[in-house]
Amino acid sequence: MAHSARRDSPELPDLSLLKRLVRDQLIYLLEQLPGKKDLFIDSDLMSPLDRIANVSTLKQHEVDKLYKVEHKPIVSISDQICFLIRPRMQTVKWICDVVNADKAAGKFRRYKIIFTPQKFYACEAVLEEQGVFGDVTTDEWAFYLLPLDEDIISLELPEFFRDNFLAGDQRWVRTAGSALHLLHSLFGPFSKVYGIGRCSKMTYESWREQVEQGEQKARHAEIGNVFLIDRDVDFVTPLCSQVVYEGLVDDIFRIKCGCVEFGPEVTSSDKSIKVMLNSQDKVFNEIRNEHFSNVFGFLSQKARNLQTAYDKRRGMDIQQMKTFVSEELKGLKQEHRLLSLHISASESIMKKKTKQDFQELLKTEHCLLEGFEIRECISFIEEHINRQVSMIESLRLLCLLSVTENGLLPKDFKSLKAQYLQSYGADHLLTFSNLRQLGLLVEQQPGETLTVMESKVGKLVNDRTAVKLTDAFSSLAKKSHFRALSKKLNLVPKSDEEYDLRVPRDMAYIFSGAYIPLSCKIIEQVLERDGWTGLEEVTRLINGHEFAVTGADPKSKSDAQRIILVMFLGGCTFSEISALRFLGKERGYKFIVVTTAITNSSRLLEALLDNNV
Amino acid sequence: MAPGALLLEAHREYEKSSQKADEYLREIKEQNVLGDAVRQCVEAAAHEYDPDTQKALMRAASFGKCFLTEFSPDQFVTTCRELRVLNAVRESSVGMPLTHTQFKQMTLQVLIDRLVYRQFYPLAIEVCRYLKIPDYQGVSRVLKHWASCKVQQKDLTDEAIARAVCAKVGDSPGVSYSDVAAKAYECGRPELAIKLLDFEARSGEQVPLLLKMKRSQLALSKAVESGDTDLVYTVVTYLKNEMNRGDFFMTLRNQPVALSLYRQFCKLQEPQTLKDLFNQDDDHQELGNFYVTSSYRDKRLEGRLAQLQSAVDEYNKAKNDFAVKATEEEMRLLRFQRKLDDEKGAGLLGLSLQATMEALMSLGLHKQAEQLYRDFRVPDKRYWWLKLKSLAEKEQWEELEKFSKSKKSPIGYLVREAPPLNSPL
Repeated sequence: MAHSARRDSPELPDLSLLKRLVRDQLIYLLEQLPGKKDLFIDSDLMSPLDRIANVSTLKQHEVDKLYKVEHKPIVSISDQICFLIRPRMQTVKWICDVVNADKAAGKFRRYKIIFTPQKFYACEAVLEEQGVFGDVTTDEWAFYLLPLDEDIISLELPEFFRDNFLAGDQRWVRTAGSALHLLHSLFGPFSKVYGIGRCSKMTYESWREQVEQGEQKARHAEIGNVFLIDRDVDFVTPLCSQVVYEGLVDDIFRIKCGCVEFGPEVTSSDKSIKVMLNSQDKVFNEIRNEHFSNVFGFLSQKARNLQTAYDKRRGMDIQQMKTFVSEELKGLKQEHRLLSLHISASESIMKKKTKQDFQELLKTEHCLLEGFEIRECISFIEEHINRQVSMIESLRLLCLLSVTENGLLPKDFKSLKAQYLQSYGADHLLTFSNLRQLGLLVEQQPGETLTVMESKVGKLVNDRTAVKLTDAFSSLAKKSHFRALSKKLNLVPKSDEEYDLRVPRDMAYIFSGAYIPLSCKIIEQVLERDGWTGLEEVTRLINGHEFAVTGADPKSKSDAQRIILVMFLGGCTFSEISALRFLGKERGYKFIVVTTAITNSSRLLEALLDNNV
Repeated sequence: MAPGALLLEAHREYEKSSQKADEYLREIKEQNVLGDAVRQCVEAAAHEYDPDTQKALMRAASFGKCFLTEFSPDQFVTTCRELRVLNAVRESSVGMPLTHTQFKQMTLQVLIDRLVYRQFYPLAIEVCRYLKIPDYQGVSRVLKHWASCKVQQKDLTDEAIARAVCAKVGDSPGVSYSDVAAKAYECGRPELAIKLLDFEARSGEQVPLLLKMKRSQLALSKAVESGDTDLVYTVVTYLKNEMNRGDFFMTLRNQPVALSLYRQFCKLQEPQTLKDLFNQDDDHQELGNFYVTSSYRDKRLEGRLAQLQSAVDEYNKAKNDFAVKATEEEMRLLRFQRKLDDEKGAGLLGLSLQATMEALMSLGLHKQAEQLYRDFRVPDKRYWWLKLKSLAEKEQWEELEKFSKSKKSPIGYLVREAPPLNSPL
């Protein structure tokens, strides 16, 4: 960051405690099944497990071989088998098949299923139905939270989003409540809890219930305040292209569980390299929150610094050289390696993102956010679909258009969808049905809207007057919720001012100064006002079950009061995390982000596709 | 003479204000056994039945204690308390002639249990309070027994009992209203049981009993209220086996949370049930989606078309014109693809319109591609992009020129300097 952080920012609590706790519990569970055993793991638990206990730790506790749980006969010859899975009916059914196949072959083994983070009755019902309930033992591994970094914790439950918001299946709400309870008992008591969204409210209630049932221990709080927010409060932010380094890397290379795999185009060899991306990586830590346009400057500065450090060798005597080699060289080498990786990653991003198309794409997004030249945006999207640029990208633009405009005009709605189906197949009819259900892609309700006004006016007069006129009309016309919110909260800074991205002045810098993420803005406002007073209009527009509860007495103005836990239900993006880090630096807060999973536009939309049945 | 006896004697003399008290005391002290003497007195008191004798012995012990420094008073205090309890239970109205040894042997917990079994609830509570037993093991436990007993009183009305129980139990920790309600139900008073369940703060606790009582509707709504989906699911599975289908669906209809949970289950396990569910609700849109989904599972084209036709019918009922049109076009496209696959072995089946045209062009079947362009009203721009790209890829420059002159291009052309001949494209 170009500007320095406030000196008095509080220290973050040590989140690695969470790792140690679950690790011990896992070992305990493994030892419950003495002797050699083979471990079968759900494929999406592989990476999280790796962060907790590596292969050698598992081997120490008599795990012989590791396999992925799949729907096929198993090859293991061990007479003890342990399954480590998420509580999904499908997976349990596969396991039942394995057990039944063994039974048919007259093979005797011991089976243990460890559900994480909890078991569901539905899974046990499947065991019962398939007649293997008596053959397996089940257990729970309370692995609720995986700290990805010193200020990011993930529940690693990407399906939370679809299950909860699309299918209306609230099975994970209790899980979220338990996760919050765990944090409360380790780092609480919380003195204030704010929230917005139906799911947040339910999570809060589930947590309260668990607090009341358990015993209270008076302890020194390390986290003072909590903010719960539903993903469906703000769909605009995750639908925008990310332009902050960490977000960009996630959009392009996909960060998985805090780790990214750079392919051959980055490593300039034929191998891929896996790199952990967190605050331990000194190079990354300095550029992760930067707007991409600044990254190269930082990297070249860094390279010069590194060179100077290397150059120190010259003119050293033997003794100095010895200390240099033993103390500094290793660190420098490491930094060197990371630096060159990030430079080639940035180059690779540059190649993809500085093309004409990307600039136009960003321009379209910014227009949509500001609500200008909507017709041009629609033609851009149309061409995007017709030229089959990308299935997900086109869908993303469609949704962004619909969300910012509060729906598409019936004519556009039909023609864009029809063209999309021609490009990508009629099975996307189901995708559209899902998107409509979530309110991401809808038809505008009858009534004059801003866009109609604008396009009518736009035909008569030139652009500049049209802008003024639309401003005048905007109070008359029925506006989209997003527009109203944007106006109320000042989400879109005035476009005529120059925005210096090197010296960000507000959270808008994460979208090149074009838009302050709604989710983060709400958090900022609520913290500033210490509640929802004065935001009635905003909550009405979001339609959002907001609440603010005072818990343990916040008598002391201790450091803990300035540590705020923000829990995103349904996922959050790296851009939002960057924005919160920025806000924290400005206001002397520290934010810890808890999310059901890290998301971005592609993951969000892929979760809603229904074409791969 | 035992030191204890001597101490007792000393105390007696002291009461009489005789100087002999001092003499005896000295004698004990000289032998350095005053501590033992006090202990002996306390112990003796514990084993005595007669309260007067107990008192005399305890007083002697207290007297002796005065001449000792650093003597722990614990034994003295506990014995006092225990004696009070023992004397209370030895009363003729209670009639438990316990010796102190027996009492120690059977422990306090058992004593309270015995009191509870004999229904001496007030006494039991007094004892618990007096001995400061934690609520969980003490008062609450007694109250629980009391409440279970109370609900069996036949002469009182349900209302009166419920009120009495609530007044006494309040919200003491460890007393579960659902347990009490279960007792009431066992005694054949379901109405009372329901009244009692209303006091239960944790709705989750109410569910198992409600199920047992066949109050499944109520159980379902309580489960939903508890916010524990696992519980909801338990009730749903129970209901599924218990009720006939129609009633089951009707019940679910009033509980959206349960309904969506069951839908999730059906999607994975019983697709046919899902269809019935939508049918029941006349949800034609979802039914249409359902048929579209299952059309992709069908490998045969005829089956697929039949499913899509059903989807069209449902979408028609749902008045979703767009979906009707899209599905019909898909059917047309499928038939077209099939025809070409049969004729030319083009391998088109299942491709999107765009992909089909692309494949046709790369096979050189431009006429067919153009037919699609017209039949499906493909936007000009799309067709132009596609055609130009395809011709350029195959380096059919003459064709391209012909095409460019055939009609005005809707996407325009960019004039660029030709690259040097030896450079790769």
